Amino acid sequence: MDSIEFNQRQKRARVAYELGRLRLALLGMIPLALIVALSVAFTQKPLSAFAFGLAALGFGVGMLWYGRDPQRAILPGAVAGLVPLVFALCANRMHTCGPDGCTSLCMPACALGGIVAGLFVAIVGNRRKAGALFWLSASGLALLTGAMGCSCAEYAGLAGLGAGFTVGVMPGLIRRALTNNNPPTAS
Amino acid sequence: MADLPEDPLDMLMARLAQGDRSVFARVFELLWTPSFRLCLKLLKNEADAADAAQEALQKIFERASDYDRSRPAMPWAMAIAGWECRTILRKRGRRREVAEEEAKEETEERTTESAEEKFVQQSLVEAAVAAMGALSKDDRETLVATFWDEAAAVSGATLRKRRERAIARLRKMWRKLYGLD
Repeated sequence: MDSIEFNQRQKRARVAYELGRLRLALLGMIPLALIVALSVAFTQKPLSAFAFGLAALGFGVGMLWYGRDPQRAILPGAVAGLVPLVFALCANRMHTCGPDGCTSLCMPACALGGIVAGLFVAIVGNRRKAGALFWLSASGLALLTGAMGCSCAEYAGLAGLGAGFTVGVMPGLIRRALTNNNPPTAS
Repeated sequence: MADLPEDPLDMLMARLAQGDRSVFARVFELLWTPSFRLCLKLLKNEADAADAAQEALQKIFERASDYDRSRPAMPWAMAIAGWECRTILRKRGRRREVAEEEAKEETEERTTESAEEKFVQQSLVEAAVAAMGALSKDDRETLVATFWDEAAAVSGATLRKRRERAIARLRKMWRKLYGLD
């Protein structure tokens, strides 16, 4: 078999590999799709929740398809994102958001959920000594998942989520940076 | 007891399962030759073996992300390749059966057709003989002589006239008996 034919066969196998990964990624996103469906059903603003849910699903499929660190970040990212999502949905159920937004309960719930999510991502990232791609992927998925619930408070909710997440993840990021600068010496 | 060193293919497959594309070409190289040899042994045809090995490798790589690293990769891959070759063998067998059936049906059809033709021809001859039987002896002799191209002892013009008259009477009789020309 000549090298051209060999390369063509290899290319076809590569396409099959990528398609296999994509199929698995789509299957792997079924639980997140259920979460998206539930949040759309429970939230006061289903359209924005659906839009963020779709973005989270797309991001998740990309992470699973790519593999390596982003694939390992799927579970921590989704679990972290569930905290602000549940907080926001509960706050949303306790009162109805008005035309002036709902800063009284939803925004603090989003901020608090963001802090917990950030802390969770930081703890898992530091424990696994994960790379930058893990941190970015887990944070991205957590924020998109949380945004499904926090979008009910519009920009205020999303800002609260972002600020809370930054506060939560910062100590972990600083710790990681310090550890990378001073690697432990072998005794 | 010390653990056995891990097979390089197992390690590479595990990395591929996690999405490390940099090992793809090496895994393909390691799997191609044994898959091709297995298929060649089973199919006994180089072109078919190459195609079957290609199909098998596509299936292996399609499922590479499902690879269970607690199991050795080579037997897993060869099981897929073997399955692919057996599928091709089964398909080949089925195709041969269909071709044989078609040939058999064609032969039967041809036999039926020739029997029908024979019957029609026989009926026509019988009908012609019946029509001839209704003619006079002279007419019959003239037509038989024409058929066998016998000039008899009659001159050309007389024979031609007799023949024309006999054919006209035969035609008339045929029309009377069967209602068509």
